[in-house]
Amino acid sequence: MTGERAPWARPAAALAIAVAFFVPLYVACANVFKRGSEIGPHPAAPPVPPTLDNVQAVLTRPDRLFWVSLTNSVVVTALSVALLTVLSAMLGHYLVRARGRRWPRALMLLLLAGLMIPPQVILLPITRVLETFHLMTTVQGLVLFNVGYYVPFGVFVFSGFMRTIPVELEQAAAIDGAGRWRVFWQVVFPLLRPATASVLIFLGVWIWNDFLNPLIILGPGQGTTVTTGIYRSIGQYQADFGSVFAMMFLATLPVLVFYLLLQRHFVKGLTGGATKG
Amino acid sequence: MGQGVLTKPILPRLRHFLAFGAPGITVYACFVLAPIVVSFGYSLTNYNPFSPPAEYVGLRNYRLLFQDPEFLLSLRVTTILTAIVVVVPNVLGLGIALLLDRRGWFYNALRTVFFTPVVLSTVVVSIIWIRLMADDGLINQALRGAGVDDPPGWLSDPAYALYSLGIIMSWQMLGFCVVVYLAGLQGVPHDLREAAAIDGAGPVARFRHITWPMLAPALTINTVVLLISAFKIYDHVQVITKGGPGAGTTATVAYNVIQTGFTANRQGYASAMAIVMLVIIAVACAVALRLLQRREVQL
Amino acid sequence: MRAARRAGAAALAVVLGLSACSVKGDPGTGTSGSGAKEITFLVFETPNLTPQVWDANIKRVTDRHPDIKVRKLVAPTQDRTAYAKQLLTSGQFPDVLVAMSPTGFAESGNLYAWTSQELKDFAYPGNGAVKGKVYQLPANSQTIPGVYYNKDLFAKAGITAPPRTYAEFLDACARLKAKGITPLVTGSGHDALGPTWAGILGTDVYAGNPRWMHDRRAGKVRFTDPGFVKGAQKLADLAAKGYIDKRDLSRDYAATQQAFLDGKGAMYAMGNWFAAAADSPQTKPKFEVGQFSWPSDDGRQVLPVFTGGGLLVNAKAKNLEAAKRFALAYQLDRTNLDQSTKNDGLIPAVKGYTPPAGGGPVFQAGYEMYRQAERARAVVPAFGFESGDDGMPAGVVDKWDAAAQDLVTGRKSPRQVAEFLENEWAKAS
Repeated sequence: MTGERAPWARPAAALAIAVAFFVPLYVACANVFKRGSEIGPHPAAPPVPPTLDNVQAVLTRPDRLFWVSLTNSVVVTALSVALLTVLSAMLGHYLVRARGRRWPRALMLLLLAGLMIPPQVILLPITRVLETFHLMTTVQGLVLFNVGYYVPFGVFVFSGFMRTIPVELEQAAAIDGAGRWRVFWQVVFPLLRPATASVLIFLGVWIWNDFLNPLIILGPGQGTTVTTGIYRSIGQYQADFGSVFAMMFLATLPVLVFYLLLQRHFVKGLTGGATKG
Repeated sequence: MGQGVLTKPILPRLRHFLAFGAPGITVYACFVLAPIVVSFGYSLTNYNPFSPPAEYVGLRNYRLLFQDPEFLLSLRVTTILTAIVVVVPNVLGLGIALLLDRRGWFYNALRTVFFTPVVLSTVVVSIIWIRLMADDGLINQALRGAGVDDPPGWLSDPAYALYSLGIIMSWQMLGFCVVVYLAGLQGVPHDLREAAAIDGAGPVARFRHITWPMLAPALTINTVVLLISAFKIYDHVQVITKGGPGAGTTATVAYNVIQTGFTANRQGYASAMAIVMLVIIAVACAVALRLLQRREVQL
Repeated sequence: MRAARRAGAAALAVVLGLSACSVKGDPGTGTSGSGAKEITFLVFETPNLTPQVWDANIKRVTDRHPDIKVRKLVAPTQDRTAYAKQLLTSGQFPDVLVAMSPTGFAESGNLYAWTSQELKDFAYPGNGAVKGKVYQLPANSQTIPGVYYNKDLFAKAGITAPPRTYAEFLDACARLKAKGITPLVTGSGHDALGPTWAGILGTDVYAGNPRWMHDRRAGKVRFTDPGFVKGAQKLADLAAKGYIDKRDLSRDYAATQQAFLDGKGAMYAMGNWFAAAADSPQTKPKFEVGQFSWPSDDGRQVLPVFTGGGLLVNAKAKNLEAAKRFALAYQLDRTNLDQSTKNDGLIPAVKGYTPPAGGGPVFQAGYEMYRQAERARAVVPAFGFESGDDGMPAGVVDKWDAAAQDLVTGRKSPRQVAEFLENEWAKAS
């Protein structure tokens, strides 16, 4: 395009807006490395000289709140996402490739409806369901709930992507004598890598950040996840914001690193939807 | 493939379903569908674990619900909040996406900044903003420094608290809209815009007739995603205001369901609330999708 | 069929894998040895009651009862009563709980009713009864509120003596306000704003009728009666005149305490547990702290006190005997009692117990005030903090808290608040 009137106007405006937008994040980061007593009166001051006291206090808490939370979050997130990937890839494949129309279609609609169901609607009875299976307040129970709750999203992504893979590939492999199971895992699944990346990324972040479900399902007995751990730490530490911010920082770090490394895939995951509609 | 049904025996199809479809469907049925049915069942009773024998009460809970000022207030609160969260990030997100629609590391870096809050936990975002919006927090310190003697109580004044929550959630969701719109913008063919420019169309006309129509799918995605996430807002309310200040000024329906069900222990009543909530969101999504997709088709 | 079998095998493997991994919290207190009786104990954390305090208290008991293993559970917020309800609803009610209102839990048969033999060591063994039975050990007395004041700020405003009547109190507020000092430090929520309202209602409702709540249960009085409405009006007026800054509602409990310690306001109506923070070398303020009881209109002394606050036991606990034994031992352990006066500023209500000499000055002054009021028969219940039959039905206390905020922000008039509470009472009972 020819001749914008002021070539600096666009970057300047973009930068100004981004800086304003960034202020809360800056404050959060700065406060991690500031003495607790400095946070109240000077929230925006840079942490000079920086201190690691807050971080250390969180890491060495006698009840190991941070470490227990971290372990729980890692276990819950990893198991949920692994199961979700496998189950929703298979289910997505079934729905796209199944013979007959009516049933797969009805199932698909039923699953898509699940995308909009608020967890509050099912949490009350879910505690009963989990109790029946003796899964209430267990990591297993939370993982299974996560799988059930997020399977629609996985199926949505996988089935959308599956439609772009020519069915002839599978037919060729089947003619060569491979069973359905082998065709899927050896031929189809490797081709689904971009969809798998989207599912891993989005569900990983959502489940890591989940608050209400672990609060209710995991309960206090198994210890907290990072989000419920942060929530709990404000009870004791509210007056000592340094520790709260350090806890938030440490709990967010894994997800932040994950995001910064896989940024391109995040964008691609969203882009796929946005352009295809 | 439809004709093949007659020639193919049923057994392989069943086997296919059992091997590939059943595991996912089973978990979904156990943990999502069955609970909805159970929830509906509860909603017809006065079930309360504090006074054990639950009795069938028919539709009484639903009738009571629409006379309950607390529930009506929560509907109002949820509607206002949803309106803010659907409109503000959509509009600002579009503006910022247009601004960032250039190549290069600079714009990529800014995009990263805008998207960061999307990957943060709602609890983290809430605590950050509690500090910013507290009376001795950064915002009011800055306002006082600028000579405003009586800055608003962002979270403590019932006239502001709801809108403050709206701002916080909009801040968190803004980056999502930016990225989706940017993706949409990248799908707008460059030659099309250039051709229009040569034909003498100004930037406004170019936007209206070329860019905006091409962004229809992005608008659909943003609106539906914002609608769904705004409607079930619980975390921010629980962490920041606990439904206050005062009685229910920021209590959303989602918040009231959990409060009534798990704290006041009126599970039958809470289930009725949850079912109403489900119906509303289903209708809202269906209407929004229909309207937006009709627009996409027309273009 | 092979495919199906393999899918089955995969599913089985996943389930096995899942059950193999489970992560336990709080290993410090959570070990479960062979033959030990394990009980769960729900606690909550505040700036006073840190994880270390709880762990030390528990350890003192388990050292003497080595067959009991305690798994400490921590409520995610200070509102442990709400959290306990949530746990009960989701089938995870703990074996032992602390400082939580028994209302609702007791009637539904979830709490163990103590026998008079078990209660023999407590000074007020009948306190907080629900339908005549005591479910919560009446372990300590709490004055809610005492009014703590910043002597430096009082001097700055030229106030020479603590106010005795409500008129003097308003006059002191006016002087402080004129100097640009916020007269009363408050926050939002039960523990931050509640004590102020309990002070007002102590003088305006309970002083005239100490059995007001029982009468309300019996339908003999109403929130809409003049006494209560007048109390509500007083709270609304304090906010309207700027003696309570309604912006302070953005503070939670811990921030409210910090604000007073930082000198951001002159007076702080609070439970006597505040003494712990005021005396502790780490949190002690730079100014001297004085205290008086919430002033009544005619200057007659009235001191709202709640006795209760102790441990409760789940009637359906797996190891009920161990849970009971633990609760009693925890509550009567001398060192635990001594520690509770220091850590949480509490006044143990145990027969023959006196707090250790050499306690902090703020604690000592509060203790003296309590003893003196007891002698003068000036003690009334603490409105909104009572428990069992002495208190409001389950769920109404939350509404009472919300109502206080509505008065402070001016969103509702005293009359509307009284009607609102009448309504909520009807809904809950």
